[in-house]
Amino acid sequence: MIPDFDQQGKVETKEWVPEVAAPAVLLENVSKSYGRIFALSNITLALNGGVTGVLGMNGAGKSTLFNLLMGKLKVSQGSIKLFGTDPWKNPAPYARVGFVPEHEKMYDWMTGHGFVSTFARLNGLTRDEANIEADRVLEFVGLTDVAYKKIGQYSKGMRQRAKIAHALVNDPELIILDEPLQGCDPLARTTIMNVIRELGRMGRTVLVSSHILQEIERITEQIVILHQGRLLALGNLHSIRERLDKIPHRISIRAENPKQLAKDVIDIDEVFGISFPDGENISIQTHNLGAIHSQLPRIIVDNNHKVSTIDNPDDDLASILGYLTSGGSM
Amino acid sequence: METKPDSIYRAFDRKASAIIEFTLRQYRTKTSTWVVLGVGFVALSLIFLIYIDVMGSEFESIDNDGDSTDYDNDGYPRGQELRLGTDPWDSESHPGLFDPPIEPDPVSMYINEDGFDWDITTQLGTQTTGMDDDGDCLDSNKTDSQKDSNNNGIPCDIIIEYFESDGKIYSNIYADSGVDEDPDEDAYSREAIHLAFVLSIGKLGFVLLLGIFLPLFLATGLIRDEMSSGTMHFMLAKPIARTEVFLYRTLGYLGIVWPYVIVLGILGALISGFVGPSDSFFRFADLGVWLAIIFATMMATLVYGMLFNALGVMWKYGIILAIPFAAWELGMALLSMGAPDAFLLRFSVIGWALMIVDSAAMLVWPNLDLFILMGNWGGGGVGSWNFDSSLDGAGPLGFFSSKPGLGLSAFSGTIVATLVLLFQAIIFWFVGGAIFKGKEIQ
Repeated sequence: MIPDFDQQGKVETKEWVPEVAAPAVLLENVSKSYGRIFALSNITLALNGGVTGVLGMNGAGKSTLFNLLMGKLKVSQGSIKLFGTDPWKNPAPYARVGFVPEHEKMYDWMTGHGFVSTFARLNGLTRDEANIEADRVLEFVGLTDVAYKKIGQYSKGMRQRAKIAHALVNDPELIILDEPLQGCDPLARTTIMNVIRELGRMGRTVLVSSHILQEIERITEQIVILHQGRLLALGNLHSIRERLDKIPHRISIRAENPKQLAKDVIDIDEVFGISFPDGENISIQTHNLGAIHSQLPRIIVDNNHKVSTIDNPDDDLASILGYLTSGGSM
Repeated sequence: METKPDSIYRAFDRKASAIIEFTLRQYRTKTSTWVVLGVGFVALSLIFLIYIDVMGSEFESIDNDGDSTDYDNDGYPRGQELRLGTDPWDSESHPGLFDPPIEPDPVSMYINEDGFDWDITTQLGTQTTGMDDDGDCLDSNKTDSQKDSNNNGIPCDIIIEYFESDGKIYSNIYADSGVDEDPDEDAYSREAIHLAFVLSIGKLGFVLLLGIFLPLFLATGLIRDEMSSGTMHFMLAKPIARTEVFLYRTLGYLGIVWPYVIVLGILGALISGFVGPSDSFFRFADLGVWLAIIFATMMATLVYGMLFNALGVMWKYGIILAIPFAAWELGMALLSMGAPDAFLLRFSVIGWALMIVDSAAMLVWPNLDLFILMGNWGGGGVGSWNFDSSLDGAGPLGFFSSKPGLGLSAFSGTIVATLVLLFQAIIFWFVGGAIFKGKEIQ
């Protein structure tokens, strides 16, 4: 083979052929242990198409799961298949995968464009193809203006977007993003969320991890919850929420006249208790969050209450996990 | 139901050029690269400066046979009195009393007046050579037996005898008195020190020092640094085998080290070519040896690069593992100069690399052995006050030069050593690649 120094030629056609029927991601009874400590235990999961949020506290096993998928770690038990191939043994499936690692360290001396195009060539693209693709993905993530600036000068949000651009350069069918929103400013956050949603609409399989429920909620409804290495819940965020609605829940309202508001709210059937933690707030206890949220606005408007905030203090990952781990298995 | 074998082995050249290019640009941005290359340059420059200084100084001419001295203070040197038949110890007997009187010769005529004329090659057996340039052996006053003190029937010659014992070559020199007994110290020492310098800077400065020092600091971190900083995730998220990454990173390292070695080697060749003793303005003859030095250093940086890169993958503190290797290789380098046939040398990198230099030296300077032999003999110490008659430079040259091992000829020695080094590089690539492949990366 004569080296294609000018890199003008066509890519050779001897390509890796994935199994037709295989899902993008397939985990069967996967465990990963370090000595006696299980980072992941007995995970079975199949994903194909759409955006899936991987939720879990720090140390729940999200990064371990992704590193297993990316062939960085070897499974202790079970099997992992990307498009039907074990990634630890054969990196060929990465031709169709894009990965955004969690690590903050990047090549600060490279320009955004240089970074994306150089790594695009590792997918077998020629120099020219890589440049064209790099321009395309940098525009997709909104970095065209700063494409030729050093990554070292980028803000945290730009760096995350450059990482995402690098992962999208081979037009992958499976995109794995490890905490892509961490440390980003609101603008970058919105851009990245839009990019992920757009990828989902394009029919790609997207896996995105976070430890913040609200972030995931704005991107997708399909979630996987990991807790202490175990797969705690898998499915639609709505169905998980509905189950949550059946358990005692609090709504905290900050109003100018809490006592009057309490009188009006107590008429709702689903409310079974009201308390006054301080002079300005009332706290409503209920079993049916949905019913309260549908009636509350009407009551406030009809009685002309002045309300500054309405909070669901229990509606975060910690309380969902608390509920799920206290016997409410799904 | 796999219809085709899964393969990542396509577009090799594109991936290779991308990683090599990337690695080179990465080196360029690191201060440590420039420090390492700068230190190497300064270290070699110092040695070159010492060499230039030595070549610029005079080597004292010694009257090895003592015939320039006027012992009886009659104004005539001993050599002239002996030649003309007067008594060198009697001030009342000198050529000035002849009719007509003869003027005294200048003293310088009797210093360095009988140099080496050895026209033989190194081979087993007995050979005769040498010529009495100043006529103090062929003196008509001497008897035939005085002219043939080595008793071989040939007046005024030197017998050189090579013989083998226990697999080693030894030599004896039997010279007729007064033959080649007053060599030109300056000419011999300048040449010998020049040759010794080329060999020593080539073997120790280039092959050993650059060969180990450059990969120690530039190759150990090729994979390790990427793993510890987490940036390896970017490269390994692509359809590329880890053994490929290992190879291409090492090639990127060679992309900076090889040009550097070539430039320094050419610099060395130019300096020694212009400064070294020569009839013309430049010593073209040495270029072959410099070529071998550059080539041997390139091979050494290749093998050590693969090895140290592998050590870096094996352990975060791979540089600590590399140090015992470096020490071993230093020992082997010294061993190769003393005993180029030592069995242990086969288990080193440097032993094979130095074999390339030795082969080239044998090819370019075929009479090196004889040259060292004549320097050690140094006229045979005719003047009894000159206990050690060997000439300056002969000792170091003897130390730094050695025969290519395995009893191979220059050409086959180079080929064998090159093949062995390539084989070692491939072995270290496979080993490093296999370790890297089995490595879990957090």
